[in-house]
Amino acid sequence: MDGRVSLRQVAMRFGDFTAIQPTSLEIESGEFFSFLGPSGCGKTTLLNMISGFLTPSEGSVTIGGSDMTRVPVNRRPTAMIFQNLALFPLMSVYQNIEFGLEVRGIDRQKRRQRADELLELVALTGSGDKPVAELSGGQKQRIAIARALAVEPRVLLLDEPLSALDLKLRQHMRIELKAIQRKTGITFIYITHDQGEALTMSDRVAVMSEGRIQQVADPMTLYRQPQTDFVASFVGENNRFPGRVMAVEGELVTLDAGLPAPLVGRSATPLEPGDPATLYIRPEQWRVGPADDRRLPLGGVIQSEHFEGAWLTLEVALDQGPTIRAQVPHMTPGADTGAPLVVGGACRLDYSPRQAVVLAGTLHEPASEEAVNVAAIA
Amino acid sequence: MSSSRFFSWALKAYLLVFFVYLFLPLVIMAAATFNASRFPTVTPWTGTTLQWFSALWADSGMWSSLVNSLIVAIGVLCLALPIGIASALFLTTVDGRGKSFIYALILSPLLTPGVIIGISTLIFWRGWGLNGGIALTVIAQSAFIAAYVMLMVAARLQRFDRTLEQAALDLGASQWQVFRRVLLPYLKPAILSAAVLAFLQSLENYNTTLFVAGYDTTLTIYIASKVRTGLTPAVNALALLMILFTVGLAMIYEFKRRREAARRLG
Amino acid sequence: MWQQLRRRFGGPLAVAIVSLMGIWLIAMVLLPQWQMIDYSFHPSLLPAERGGVKDVWSLTNYATFFHNDIHLAIFFKTIWSSVLVTGLTLIVSYPLAYYLAKVATPGQAALCLLLLIIPFWINEILRTFAWYIIFAFKGPLNELLLALGLIDRPIRFLNGDTGVLVGMVYAYILFMVFPLYNAIESLDTNQIRAARDLGAGWGRTHRRIVIPHAKPGIATGCIMTFMLAAGSYAVPALLGSPGSRWFTQIIYNWFFEGGDWNQGAAYAFLLLVLCIVFVTVIMRVFKVGLGDIAK
Repeated sequence: MDGRVSLRQVAMRFGDFTAIQPTSLEIESGEFFSFLGPSGCGKTTLLNMISGFLTPSEGSVTIGGSDMTRVPVNRRPTAMIFQNLALFPLMSVYQNIEFGLEVRGIDRQKRRQRADELLELVALTGSGDKPVAELSGGQKQRIAIARALAVEPRVLLLDEPLSALDLKLRQHMRIELKAIQRKTGITFIYITHDQGEALTMSDRVAVMSEGRIQQVADPMTLYRQPQTDFVASFVGENNRFPGRVMAVEGELVTLDAGLPAPLVGRSATPLEPGDPATLYIRPEQWRVGPADDRRLPLGGVIQSEHFEGAWLTLEVALDQGPTIRAQVPHMTPGADTGAPLVVGGACRLDYSPRQAVVLAGTLHEPASEEAVNVAAIA
Repeated sequence: MSSSRFFSWALKAYLLVFFVYLFLPLVIMAAATFNASRFPTVTPWTGTTLQWFSALWADSGMWSSLVNSLIVAIGVLCLALPIGIASALFLTTVDGRGKSFIYALILSPLLTPGVIIGISTLIFWRGWGLNGGIALTVIAQSAFIAAYVMLMVAARLQRFDRTLEQAALDLGASQWQVFRRVLLPYLKPAILSAAVLAFLQSLENYNTTLFVAGYDTTLTIYIASKVRTGLTPAVNALALLMILFTVGLAMIYEFKRRREAARRLG
Repeated sequence: MWQQLRRRFGGPLAVAIVSLMGIWLIAMVLLPQWQMIDYSFHPSLLPAERGGVKDVWSLTNYATFFHNDIHLAIFFKTIWSSVLVTGLTLIVSYPLAYYLAKVATPGQAALCLLLLIIPFWINEILRTFAWYIIFAFKGPLNELLLALGLIDRPIRFLNGDTGVLVGMVYAYILFMVFPLYNAIESLDTNQIRAARDLGAGWGRTHRRIVIPHAKPGIATGCIMTFMLAAGSYAVPALLGSPGSRWFTQIIYNWFFEGGDWNQGAAYAFLLLVLCIVFVTVIMRVFKVGLGDIAK
């Protein structure tokens, strides 16, 4: 089944307001693809353009190899799981699931057969005759999935489906959704503002902000090698050090960020001395040691300390520098030797330059022009 | 405070008088049905009898006007229901500059005196060759009954979750299928209530019907004419039966409505 | 707007919707109204003469009205009586509406509302007929008054306007109670309590707090009652006498006894204008808008 989705220079304008900047994207058949971004970034708009509820102002939408830009909703090979589920309240579970088959004129026996298969797939066998109102949130979720799968779509579109569920249920459903996707081989396009969801479930994620795709990559690459300032700050936590390039040696860049010692990190793009650049260090990349450990190059004063079980989160004001957040394992080897770390006390810090990311540009600009509107395969 | 006690006593007395005022005429009228006196009254009471019911049964004029009333009511249902539903669909779907004007236009029959609706309908359709009769009555009554239908259907329509339409489209339904299988079932209770209301309003209408009925008298016109000519308690018998019918229907309707509301909340 | 309709319902259904509305609003509301007004400005002609030379725009029908003293008298009497009916209904309904909205418990209110509604499910003709029986010369009311010794000869209630007035108040009371009830109900009860707490007597509380808040309801109720009264045919026909005719009865006569539809149309138009004027005046005085059709 060809479940590829291609967006070519697709844009969406409402009067003067541009909701989606011209964007191109290729989604593979059978992929679990997520759009991640804050509210208002345009992910729902993109989803609506793929499902057919919106016609793009420019550009084309191709599904399964055929141009679907002007094809109306009810004739696209897509099915959507709505945020509020939109199960038909006056119908039973069976009637809901069979709805798509009914409008296609499929006879009763075949419909019932398919509905039973799907009920089994979502582990709700026997609930067919129940009225929808009697189901729990998680059960309704699964019926919505079954209903969508009944019409054998090539692409399943999920609009923040788990946002209304409680934590435990959400975690359970993540696993289930992933399993269903693997089993059916349907392309899943998933939108969410929850990073945890996007990163754990997806093959690839597109991070969006203000109508633009910032970066498309698999979760690990997104985390380790962000390509724009937005991605670096939005995905996980990051400590930022804006500054100026002092020296470049291969991949390694030395940066003057106003601290007593320069910082070193790795840049994916070539930089010249004198270029403005920002260095990013994630909280878990810090090594924090007692104030008398001169092996650690940076110094600072601990502002606060939060105990979180396996981790200890520290806020440290670096000497002549910004306040950073560091996350250290609570039980570090040798933690009980030497001077203990106390709030208000001094400490020393180290990080691994090879893990620190350097991006060109400063706070208000994207790291590079190519990172914007990317159809990258990272 | 005694002033407050006085008020509360006065209020209760007032309510009592009020409801007596409201129900007494009906009680008296019902009672007069069983009085053998030739003129409908309860004083003097000349004897208890059921003869007026048989007199009513034998009255062919009554039967033919009853049939006319029913035909008109059914005709009104066929005309006012689709129009009212269409208008409700229109008003809940569109937005725009002309909307409030159209809304005012739709409500105008409700604010127009019934006689004016009757007269204008009579005048207009004579130009098209249609004179007073059942068809004209249906048209005239539907002119304002459709507005009531619209109000009742629109009230329910406004609470409809439109993502259900989107879901149905997304699953492949055509727009007609979405209407028939998702929207219409949802509207069914409102349409039924509107139908009951339209039916009853048609049966009991007088002011408008008076001008457009022609020779096809309806029940209300028949009763009114009987009161001024040839009045006997047979009219009371008819009145009593109509009251029982209407009140019975109304109470069934009310109970069903209350049960629906309770079920939705509970 | 057409696009919005089409997008939601598809071509055929949208066409059906617009057609039905068009038939209604144009053929059943606007055009007949227009035709009636047009008729009123044309003299009454034989079928053969219509469309011919004598069919000119003229004010003769209206001139006839203004020169007819009897009709003028009836017209003004109708206005005055309708105002009277409206006022009486308002006075009678206000305490009940207040009770339902503020004093009764929800259970009591529901019961009362049900009791109120039941008579109104019954035909206006029948309810008027009931009063006809009561008011009859040898009827129960007279018998009661005689028995109580309050009068020594039966009163002819059905001669003159008394019967008509009482009958109308009875017939239209619900149209006043409901808007009043809705309006008073929306008043925050604490305001009443605050007024009492600050020392206001009941009269002042009502005058300064409740009534101003209930203005939209009062306006709606007055509008509906006046229009029903002025446009009423059944009640004056059944409970009135030849000496106390109502304007609608005259209109009826023009159509079915005088055979002059154009004249009748003119009179009908006058009635319509009267209603519109009244509505506008009330809306100005009470400062209410059109968004108050809370049925």
